[in-house]
Amino acid sequence: MSSVLEVERVSKAYPSLTALFEVSLSIEAGEIFALLGPNGAGKTTLIGAICGLVRKSSGRIRLLGVDLDVDPVTPRRDVGLVPQEVNFDPFFTVRESLALQLGYFGRPRDDARVDELLAALSLSAKADTPTRALSGGMKRRLLIAKALVHRPKLVFLDEPTAGVDVELRRDLWAYVRRLRGEGTTVVLTTHYLEEAEELADRGGIIDKGRLLLVEEKSALLKRLGERRLHVTFQHPAPSLPPGVSGGALSEDGRTFTFVERAGTASCAGVLGALYAAGLPVADVAMTPTRLEDVLLRVLKGGSGAP
Amino acid sequence: MNVIGTRTLLGKEVRRFLRVPGQTVLQPLISTTLYFVVFGFTLGARQGDVEGIAYATYIVPGLVFLGIANNAFLNSSSSFFITKIQGTIVDLLVAPLGATELLIGFVAGAMVRGLLVGLLTWGAAMLFTGFHLAHLGGTALFLALSAYVFAVLGLAAGIWAEKFEQINFFPTFLMLPLTFLGGVFYSVRALPEPFRTISLMNPVVHMVEGLRAGMLGLDEGSSLGLWLLVGLAIGATALTHRLLAVGYRMKS
Repeated sequence: MSSVLEVERVSKAYPSLTALFEVSLSIEAGEIFALLGPNGAGKTTLIGAICGLVRKSSGRIRLLGVDLDVDPVTPRRDVGLVPQEVNFDPFFTVRESLALQLGYFGRPRDDARVDELLAALSLSAKADTPTRALSGGMKRRLLIAKALVHRPKLVFLDEPTAGVDVELRRDLWAYVRRLRGEGTTVVLTTHYLEEAEELADRGGIIDKGRLLLVEEKSALLKRLGERRLHVTFQHPAPSLPPGVSGGALSEDGRTFTFVERAGTASCAGVLGALYAAGLPVADVAMTPTRLEDVLLRVLKGGSGAP
Repeated sequence: MNVIGTRTLLGKEVRRFLRVPGQTVLQPLISTTLYFVVFGFTLGARQGDVEGIAYATYIVPGLVFLGIANNAFLNSSSSFFITKIQGTIVDLLVAPLGATELLIGFVAGAMVRGLLVGLLTWGAAMLFTGFHLAHLGGTALFLALSAYVFAVLGLAAGIWAEKFEQINFFPTFLMLPLTFLGGVFYSVRALPEPFRTISLMNPVVHMVEGLRAGMLGLDEGSSLGLWLLVGLAIGATALTHRLLAVGYRMKS
């Protein structure tokens, strides 16, 4: 795979705050990358610096092979952004807004493309409605459609589903998967870690303007995540079998909890040992590894990042 | 150069003001025509001729200029400012539209509105005074240059402004006094000293006189007006292009 975006030691300093500190990142063509971090971590500033909304203080950004310090305009033809803040022009309808956005990107009129997006984002019924008359969720759908109307190769989704209903979230997830299927690269920031978990191939964690780590999602979950195994016995278990190390048996001997982490035994191995010892297992529950747990651990300083 | 993008922005700007024609075209047309009726006929009847021309006819070029300058300025300043306030500036900043494309799109849209109001004002005045056009080329040049200069200045004001109050600052405190004291309703050449010399420092005087020369054939010093407009056009364009290029008050 080739890089569609290379961020090299990019910093952004305000008089009273350093929003980004020497951030370096490379995004590969066709992947879905999730940028995670708490409020004020620098996610939106980084996206802004790439998309032309923020002037970086130092560093280099190569977008689709072009150094933005040399040519900040041309590579934008193939980039789309769903901004965090909802915006709309009250003078125009939904269809007109999409046609305008298509034109701004230097593309000729394409009614079929506009209709396709209206349908994909469930906006067809509102096509001729003035944007000011749309509900909040519909306005966000329009934002997404505007970012995609010119068929960008690289799309930035900055908190695309903040404050929207479950239906839109699911619709968007389906559409993002479809985009990836078509070869589009997606960079996503989100507060909903479920969203990143559902969609992303790789993830990066940023806090206080510093990119703490970047890793494949599955590797990240495996290395830093943890899974909890809860076992309930039919009657109190007197003790744990010798093959089971770690975990905790409740005082009454009725429940057993085990936490699987990198370097410990697996949940499956522990459960096998319990069955092999003939313990009367009544119920088993698993709490899977959550990206949220990983994020919290990294932010608390337990990243183990190289 | 993103030609389609520029054309799209221009088309959007024109459609935007045509969506509210009562506010953007009719209202200024009525107020400028009222100036003409009140000053030209009610008061002008006592005034007599100015430089050999009926007073009502004499003030027509100045009122056309007033319509063009005000509306070209207001269109670009308010449109750009509102684009910032409602957040749709993001749509333009992320698009492949450089400073030149943004400048052309906003300025050309504002010129269309300024010229539309100016020409409609001229048309309304003709109903009372008849048709006067001494030099087609000179008139067209002054109409276009006036519209351009004030459209660019309006765009610069829209970029600079961060509050609604600021957007009204230039029309109220600069343009209104400059135009009313700029020989729209009288000949500054006939003023006693030192008011004559002071008035001649007002660039609007020379712009109005230039348009008057084109429309009525009066020679009051029109070449200075032309060079003033050209100088202002170059200066304002350079400044506004720079503001757009660096994203002044648009990019953090």
